[in-house]
Amino acid sequence: MSVSAETDHSIPAASDRRRRLFQFGMSAPGALATSVLVLFALGIVLFLSFRTNDGSLLGSGFTVGNFASALSDPLYATVILRSLTIAGLVTLATVVTAYPVAYYLAFHAGKHRGLLLFIVTLPFWTSYLLRVFAWKVVLAYNGVLNSALLNTGITSEPILAFLNTPAAVVVTLAHAYAAFAILPIYVALENVPKSLIEAAEDLGARPFSIFRRIILPISMPGVLGAGLVVFVPTVGDYVTPALVGGPSSTLIGSMIQAQFGKANDWPFGAALSVIVMLVILAVVVAARFADKHFGSRT
Amino acid sequence: MLGRTTRNMLHGAAGLVSLVASLVTPALAADKLTYFTWSGYELPAFNKSFLTAHPDGVDISVFSDDDEAFTKVKAGFHPDLAHPCYDKIARWNKEGLLQPIDTKRIKNFDTIFPVFKDLPDIQAGDGKVWMVPWDWGNTSILYRTDLVKDPAPSWNLLWDKQYTGRIATIDAVHDTPVVAALMAGVNPFDMSPADLEKVAAKLREQRPLLRAYTTDMTSVEQSLASGELVAAMTWNASATTLKKQGVKVEFLKPKEGMLTWACGFVMLKDAKNIDLAYDFINSRLEGDSGKELITQYGYGSASSAAFALVPKEELERLQLPADPNVVLKSTVFTGPMKQNDDLAKMFEKVKAGG
Repeated sequence: MSVSAETDHSIPAASDRRRRLFQFGMSAPGALATSVLVLFALGIVLFLSFRTNDGSLLGSGFTVGNFASALSDPLYATVILRSLTIAGLVTLATVVTAYPVAYYLAFHAGKHRGLLLFIVTLPFWTSYLLRVFAWKVVLAYNGVLNSALLNTGITSEPILAFLNTPAAVVVTLAHAYAAFAILPIYVALENVPKSLIEAAEDLGARPFSIFRRIILPISMPGVLGAGLVVFVPTVGDYVTPALVGGPSSTLIGSMIQAQFGKANDWPFGAALSVIVMLVILAVVVAARFADKHFGSRT
Repeated sequence: MLGRTTRNMLHGAAGLVSLVASLVTPALAADKLTYFTWSGYELPAFNKSFLTAHPDGVDISVFSDDDEAFTKVKAGFHPDLAHPCYDKIARWNKEGLLQPIDTKRIKNFDTIFPVFKDLPDIQAGDGKVWMVPWDWGNTSILYRTDLVKDPAPSWNLLWDKQYTGRIATIDAVHDTPVVAALMAGVNPFDMSPADLEKVAAKLREQRPLLRAYTTDMTSVEQSLASGELVAAMTWNASATTLKKQGVKVEFLKPKEGMLTWACGFVMLKDAKNIDLAYDFINSRLEGDSGKELITQYGYGSASSAAFALVPKEELERLQLPADPNVVLKSTVFTGPMKQNDDLAKMFEKVKAGG
């Protein structure tokens, strides 16, 4: 018995070692990238946030003063709140408009599905800046939208409120992140078992009930994933508000960027970044908790 | 077998690529001058003779604000030459970023107007300077003559509630906060904490009226041309550009004084291509180069040799006197600001609504 066990063991041991080596080899690049590019970089940000700014690259001494001044000044709370609101609106707008597109792709696109998916991703072949400038062309004072309104006689004066407003930031970002929302929702909808829908139909459920009680709950993980993918990067965005935002849509990303640029106070910028990361973490945890609470399977 | 051959070939190719790369990259880097300058200052017409002598001999990166440039250089970007403005020289020097430039190697140094040559912060002693002045110009309000009827000659136009949402201003510490200080009756170049608060109050008063804080002059010019903006703080190049396009604009002469600035070349401490750098500065100080600067942008050249080449009528059309001293009698020269960093932080907060 013991002998046979021994011989049995020797062959798996060799293949086990080989498998472990393979696994190690496969995960090494990822581990290296994570520890160097992510953890090390995060560590520096954390380190910097506790330094005193003396004009040098890494500051000097240790202090909690950066956090104290960021937390005691109501301005930063206001700007963070403004960022969360705008990012929330962007997420809502993106997910609400992406869902019908994904729904159509999953259930009604038929043989055109491949082509339609291709068209959905087509804008992403151009640079992000190019898409922002395209929106500038549409929303500008003498832009496409204003010209159309003037020519059809709906307005007699060009409308200033389209560009350089928070609304312009929401529209531009919602469009920019559309594909990031459409694709995860589409994948989730693809996985809805057709048999469940058929069963519901056989039992006399109306289309809206099927959607509300079967399709929506099953696709919820995709919706939440999409929301997360859109929400997290938009909170910290600073390029879009700088290009289409105007003074009343300064987001926290712009403030952090300014600390590392013009204001020349890297430790304070790092402290602001750490605070924003914690706030985003709190929002994500709250969203997951709410999600569990509503009985989703994520 | 085939797999092994392919793998060997791939290894071989990879090795070859890295070998070639290691041979080529330092060679390229050593041959080319790197120059870090204001966007718009990269035109080949400004250094024709340098490009004839060294075809494709310069690598140019641009910035839109020299405070941004400062942090980029501080963080490890090392060009051979950079082009900040005079008010920043003391700051760059304090950080130990610069090396002195030998004026004996600058052929046209004597043609530089004494008013710029003698600026205190650029003196490095022993016939050397920290900055070779190249350009100067004015900052004021560019307004649409058909949309703003006969404005009072004052910076106050940028605080006029009548034009709410139709005004823009420059997003740089040495422009908007300086003007706010002038309007608040405070010395912009040395202020107490109480003074700083007065400037902040003035800036807060302005924020709700503004369409944008920006350094993107192309957007500002387009918005002025379309009528989205009726007035904006700009440099004189925008006035020259829009007038050339036939837009009805005028460059205001505020009674508090336009801002006059001067900028120039600095050599970074660890510059690798020093000979090329001297060639480049020499080429840019030729009369021809300065003439291009004057006629294309309406900025002043620091060299009298350039003004000698521009006809008088052209200068009158550009509202540019051939002697900068004439301008400086009525304008505020942007010198070093002692509280630059505090001012920058405060300005950022006001912009965000604080």
